[in-house]
Amino acid sequence: MTNPVIENIRRSLGRTDQSPLSMRPAIYEPRLPDSLDCEVERFLDEVKKLSGVSQKLSSFDIASALKTLVVEQNIRKAMVWKTVHLKQLGIADTLQSFGVELVSPNADKHEIAQCDLGITEADYLLPETGTLVLRSSAEKPRAVSLLPRVHLAIVRPEMLRADMHQVFAEAKDGNYLVFITGPSRTADIELTVTLGVHGPKNLYAWMMDE
Amino acid sequence: MTETHPYIGFEKYSEHVPPSIPLAVQQATSRFVGGRAARVAELPQWGQLRRIGSDIRQHTIENMDVYLTRLEEKVAAAGGHVHWAETAEDARRIVLQIAKENNVKNVVKSKSMATEEIELNHALEAAGIEALETDLGEYIIQLAGTGPSHIIVPAVHLKKEEIAALFSAKLDINAPTDPIELARIAREVLREKFLNAGMGISGGNFLVAETGTLVMVTNEGNGRMCTTMPELHVAVVGIDKVIPDWESLTVFLKLLARSATGQKLSTYTQFITGPRRAEGEFGPKEFHLVLLDNGRSKILKDPIGRDVLKCIRCGACANVCPVYKNVGGFAYGSFISGPIGAILSPQMYGTQAARELPYASTLCGACADVCPVKIPIPTILRHLRRRVAQGDAFALPTIPAPIRETANLASLALAQDWIYRLGARLLPIINPFFRKDNWLSNMPYPLNRWTKVRPLPPFGARFRKWWIVRSVKETESTR
Repeated sequence: MTNPVIENIRRSLGRTDQSPLSMRPAIYEPRLPDSLDCEVERFLDEVKKLSGVSQKLSSFDIASALKTLVVEQNIRKAMVWKTVHLKQLGIADTLQSFGVELVSPNADKHEIAQCDLGITEADYLLPETGTLVLRSSAEKPRAVSLLPRVHLAIVRPEMLRADMHQVFAEAKDGNYLVFITGPSRTADIELTVTLGVHGPKNLYAWMMDE
Repeated sequence: MTETHPYIGFEKYSEHVPPSIPLAVQQATSRFVGGRAARVAELPQWGQLRRIGSDIRQHTIENMDVYLTRLEEKVAAAGGHVHWAETAEDARRIVLQIAKENNVKNVVKSKSMATEEIELNHALEAAGIEALETDLGEYIIQLAGTGPSHIIVPAVHLKKEEIAALFSAKLDINAPTDPIELARIAREVLREKFLNAGMGISGGNFLVAETGTLVMVTNEGNGRMCTTMPELHVAVVGIDKVIPDWESLTVFLKLLARSATGQKLSTYTQFITGPRRAEGEFGPKEFHLVLLDNGRSKILKDPIGRDVLKCIRCGACANVCPVYKNVGGFAYGSFISGPIGAILSPQMYGTQAARELPYASTLCGACADVCPVKIPIPTILRHLRRRVAQGDAFALPTIPAPIRETANLASLALAQDWIYRLGARLLPIINPFFRKDNWLSNMPYPLNRWTKVRPLPPFGARFRKWWIVRSVKETESTR
């Protein structure tokens, strides 16, 4: 069944339901990656330019880095994505050992809104823009990177993609995808840049360096 | 078909602009212009990106029926509901119907030009539903009860002291005048609203036909909140926002933020394909997409004017426009201002209601230079001026007959040498009637269209004589 809007469009364009689709103009060549080290540095740099905190970290140092984060940001409640890699790193247990209360990322929204810290992994990284790309599922709910005032993303060099083309080619069939480029920001009052207006005020990206 | 829009009196509105508005607007625009220039300079392939962006938008417009049909199929396949709204009235009715069926009392909204266009908030409030804007700037102007002065920073005309006073009065608190504190207060107030709203309403930056995906670009995170927390998400999006596929999307994402705010990418870009699929995940249980026509399909008929539908709403044209920078957003009398508003409103609302807007420009061309999808705004402005003055296949002329006839006479005189010479000889006769000192400052209608802006020197018919004498004198002096 056709609808009036489509019919109006066809009438205006002088087309019918049989009219062929003309060829879409070609796209430019996507960016090619530099060496992996270069790409890692570029990503970490871009995150810093966006007022995020980024660093390379080995899995041996993760406990002490978490300790510093918990103290500096006064973290009392946290939630962690239930992914294999985050479990292997023992992040949830480490946080609990520091007295941080853990909330299930699938808990009621009013409960997770009380969390100070949300920990995720990125599925992909864009070095040129310092962007974290996150897919979403029951184990990886989208609210974890949104509601807490601090967002920590654990990332690895193999998540780097040179350009968004590759990300889209791999992820376009998902239900939800988000690009996170720096902490939540606004300049709506007298153009004063203010971080953390609705989303996280502090964004950390730790690049696991094995 | 489309509702009659109230007359847009650009000239009258711009006469009453307080000086604080151009001041604030120019602070914002100069920051965005600087940011954009820096981003463009880093990207050697910028020209190529713009050309491809322009070509893809053109292609999409010319094949819009195919892409919209594909989009509808894909959204439905992903479990979403598609609604077609021929008019603003239809769109409002559809949204109200969804709200009623789901017994919604509170709505959180993320910034959307389409819902401004259909004036959805009034309709929701009239139906007893609270509709809250959650973009900080939009929230502020909603509290203040005014319209946006700039597409990206809608409350830029308000000082922090005014905003603090507004928060104090409306939220019953003692708000400090610090922008960071004010943003924190808004975060707290709105956080509660997000968690308790029955429905989130958004617009959309792009609709990807390939997979039925809604793309939203925001900086604050309120767009994510509106589409993540409530169980119901309704997106109201103009049919012109459709793009073919994800590969095309890469081009527009690279163009949009750089052109708008001078960022490489905005903070949050989300890609939503239907409602949530997994239990235990957030995001809405139901997803509705309202595709808004409201005159767009009619604009498609005009091969020159329809380029306005290529627009990706970055605001770069306004940021460089000398007219916009002096009058601000209100003077354009519509949800969309600046040069793009000046070519959209006359097509959407007709040249009867918006006949002044094609003239709200100096035709300097700065807008066309920065447009990321190369919309020839000055060409369309001239095209619409012709429509206003002479009428065309789409509309009758709308300027008053005496002005039109005067212009016709002038064009006749300027085209025929002998009439011109005769006229030049005869015109000095009228000097004594209008001369004040050495100026003709107050000519009668319709000639006052000129003298209202600047006085004329008295008619002399001496130019040709003066030219000859001058040449002779110059030849003598150089000898």
